[in-house]
Amino acid sequence: MLIAGLSLIAGMLGALVLPTNRSRIAFNLSAQFVACVCVLFCTIPILFGSASQQGYMTWSYPVERIDLSLDPLGSFFLTFSLPMTFLGSVYAVGYLEHDIKSTRHVGTHFALLTLVQFSYIIVYTVQNAFAFLVGWEFAAIGAWLLVIWYHRNQKIRFAGFNYLVSTHFSLLFLVAAVVIMHGATNSFQFSDFKEFLSTSSVARNITFVLLMTSFGLKSAFFPFHSWLPRAHSAAPAHVSALMSGVIHKAGLFGMFKVISLVQTPELWMGWYLIIVSCVSAFMGVLYTISQRDIKRLLGYSSTENVGIAGIGIGVGCLGLAMKYPSLVALGFGGAFLHIFNHALFKCLLFYGAGSIYRFTHSIDLEKLGGLHARMRWTTPLFLIGSFAGSALPPFNGFVSEFIIYCGLLQPVAELGMGRVVFLLVVALLALVGGLAALSAARSFGLIFLGVARDPSCVHPESKEHPLMIIPMVIHLVGILLIGIFPALGVYLVTQPTTLMLKLSSSPDAVLSEFVPMSLMNSLTFVSVILISVFALIMVVRFSVLPTCNRRHVTWGCGYTAPNSRMQYSGSSFSDPMVKIFGDLLRFITREELPVGVFPEDGKYETHCIDTVERKIFSLLAGVEKVADKAMRKLPEVSEFSFAIGLIALILLVCLVTLQ
Amino acid sequence: MLQLFLLIIHIAVIFVGPIFMIGIINRVKSLWSGRRGPRLNQSYFELLRLLRKTPVYSQVTSWIFPMAPTIVLATTITASLLAPIVAGYAPIKFPMDFVAFVYILGLGKLMMMLGALDTGSAFEGMGASREATYSGLAEPVFLLGLGTLAWASNATTFQDLVAPSNVPLLDLGLRITISLAFFAILMIEASRVPADDPTTHLELTMVHEVMILDHSGPELAMVQYASAMKLTMLAGIIASILNPIVSGDNVFLTIVSALLSILLMVVIAISIGMIESLIARLRFVTLPLYVLAAFVAVVLSLVIVTANREYF
Repeated sequence: MLIAGLSLIAGMLGALVLPTNRSRIAFNLSAQFVACVCVLFCTIPILFGSASQQGYMTWSYPVERIDLSLDPLGSFFLTFSLPMTFLGSVYAVGYLEHDIKSTRHVGTHFALLTLVQFSYIIVYTVQNAFAFLVGWEFAAIGAWLLVIWYHRNQKIRFAGFNYLVSTHFSLLFLVAAVVIMHGATNSFQFSDFKEFLSTSSVARNITFVLLMTSFGLKSAFFPFHSWLPRAHSAAPAHVSALMSGVIHKAGLFGMFKVISLVQTPELWMGWYLIIVSCVSAFMGVLYTISQRDIKRLLGYSSTENVGIAGIGIGVGCLGLAMKYPSLVALGFGGAFLHIFNHALFKCLLFYGAGSIYRFTHSIDLEKLGGLHARMRWTTPLFLIGSFAGSALPPFNGFVSEFIIYCGLLQPVAELGMGRVVFLLVVALLALVGGLAALSAARSFGLIFLGVARDPSCVHPESKEHPLMIIPMVIHLVGILLIGIFPALGVYLVTQPTTLMLKLSSSPDAVLSEFVPMSLMNSLTFVSVILISVFALIMVVRFSVLPTCNRRHVTWGCGYTAPNSRMQYSGSSFSDPMVKIFGDLLRFITREELPVGVFPEDGKYETHCIDTVERKIFSLLAGVEKVADKAMRKLPEVSEFSFAIGLIALILLVCLVTLQ
Repeated sequence: MLQLFLLIIHIAVIFVGPIFMIGIINRVKSLWSGRRGPRLNQSYFELLRLLRKTPVYSQVTSWIFPMAPTIVLATTITASLLAPIVAGYAPIKFPMDFVAFVYILGLGKLMMMLGALDTGSAFEGMGASREATYSGLAEPVFLLGLGTLAWASNATTFQDLVAPSNVPLLDLGLRITISLAFFAILMIEASRVPADDPTTHLELTMVHEVMILDHSGPELAMVQYASAMKLTMLAGIIASILNPIVSGDNVFLTIVSALLSILLMVVIAISIGMIESLIARLRFVTLPLYVLAAFVAVVLSLVIVTANREYF
């Protein structure tokens, strides 16, 4: 691990210092690769059963010693974080091709990616709250600077600033919680926090809520997600992918960590997590169906998937509280696997969105169309990513949702009215799945199928860059492997789930007691049947039955001059569903309607905006009005006297504290 | 031995049943209109005719267009292997297989929508949009109903949860309510009146038919057959829920139960035909209320189960 850390630091420095862009990238990528190999060398044995590793580092101030521990929880998160960031960096070489050829110092970008990787190592291994906060901050600053890579654009700068403020709110809540815990235990060690967190008290409950709010802000649970759409739209595609798939999973890691420290959570904690996650999943997918910007759409889909994982965490928490090991295993196992699966397909989708942007210079659904003819690699990759995102068999999203469904539908006898709530959550999950399928059909169908709605998006000289395709293919392989052979996914999450099972009422249980191999093999069997029936029908259809030898225009009911603007647009596709849930969504329209006797061209645009963000901004505007009125009432003061007054105040405070 | 017999009957009903279900529905509709109506196996000849035609594709469609009907048919066949249709027997069983059932059908629906959007026409887009909305609303109701049945019979597989249990009167109330809800869902999923009219070809009034407006030849045959198979499958599930015979290993009881299932499926087909003849299709804006009605029926059954569990 030490080698990994040093390699990353070397990579960062090299990327900043070396002379040409190409050498910076080559050095940085090789350093990242070395770090990934080292980390995997340490973490994979732990995921397959060997004992956790411990270590410590001596530091000088403010803590003398930082304990490091690589337990199954941390190693699970590390195992996918570093390689996926490496793949993202490979993608970046293709995406930033134009910047690399120019005189811009691209090494900064790769150094920031390396910084973010370094922060993973810190966040997922340290057992000391102070060092944890430092790692958290590294990730936040690194992600912010990556988001504002195209900082000359004011909108991107604003989106980055919005993200920075929100992630520091999350830090604020985290610091508040750490302060309470430090006050109670007079130490920064997680092991000392364990005693405070596992005994029930008002302070403990407040700390729990603060921590969950902080992690909700970081992982974009609703209603703390308002930074997400702007940040994902503004950032370069691979940065959005990594933020969505990897960086923000640190919030979920925090939730797991807190629950493992709390050891026997109370009932209200589990229900609170389930309710927040249900709202998050539903609102996330509802926003997804109405967006016209692909990256905003995928960002809201992250909120939805994090909600689904949160439902799993809530179920596991209830299992710990009510002493049902089956719920613990299925809930946490499903949540872990969903986090991994989400990283796989969400990164694939974002890479696809980046590929589309580089090809057409637009990410607006309403302008694209018909890209299947020229983007031959991206089309099937994006298609399978969309299938996985809608949790359809035989792809990986289905497997993790299936495990969460197993947890919710478990025939657990004494759950009582809780069983009714679980069934309603099942119905909500099915609704979320249906809406996600609508969104997948809409986004894939409008971008790749049909004809281009805006001819200015058609650039005849665009090509798909191979370095952008290779990471997508690797993610696709992961999606197919876990989708068709779910046993592999279950192997991956066995150790972290066993760690959580140790806290339950049957500490020696393993995940395979509740998710037996026979069940996973049945899912494989069904997938195999589906694929073989499909293959059989295709063979029969194309060998025996007549094939097409003539193409003609699409039937337009006799209309002789159809054009591409007559195709269904994004807002029309989601219109029926939006009308049903209309009160939860907010649209703004910009119109210049043709007026007068000889009218000019008019235009009419609708955009779906984030309700929470709107409310936050209107609140801030209101506060600013009040502050403005208050400031007007104060007398005019010269700057000199203001400075003297400030210095006097500081001296007074110092004197008072030193007494 | 008995299992093999049931498997053969199941496969026969899946592949031959759709022809006759559509035939019965059309015959009932014709009789209500005062006509004699086509033969019961008329749709077999229709499908054969379509299979012999050469399809014509649109100039803008991609490789997804010919692949979509294939995937729809493959998913419908796979899902029907998971569903208990005759005598409450399902060939493939594993815990929580009803979740896999719903999601496999979901894959078929998504591919159908993508095949529709591939044509680049406003009509198919409209059909895809409507299909996405109404089936997206119907799926949660269906899964909630299955979950309620699973809770009531304390079962985890599809086959076990439709099996009759040993508290007859409560069971009857529960099963009738769920069957009514599932019957309403069947109307939406199989594109029947009052959710969708399979005989209209006025573009603004179609849902399923407009998605397949550009399909021709073998593609159209596959889509129509898959749609009929879905109807048969859902009718079979309702028949299994209403079937009161517990057959076990008794050969005679199994045969009686199988015949009763098929009889129930014929009754369902006749009632679909009657509803199509007597009731007009609902306006699209009121379809969500229709789904809400089915949801209320399922919630009512959930209340029945809860009351039973908590107070008895």
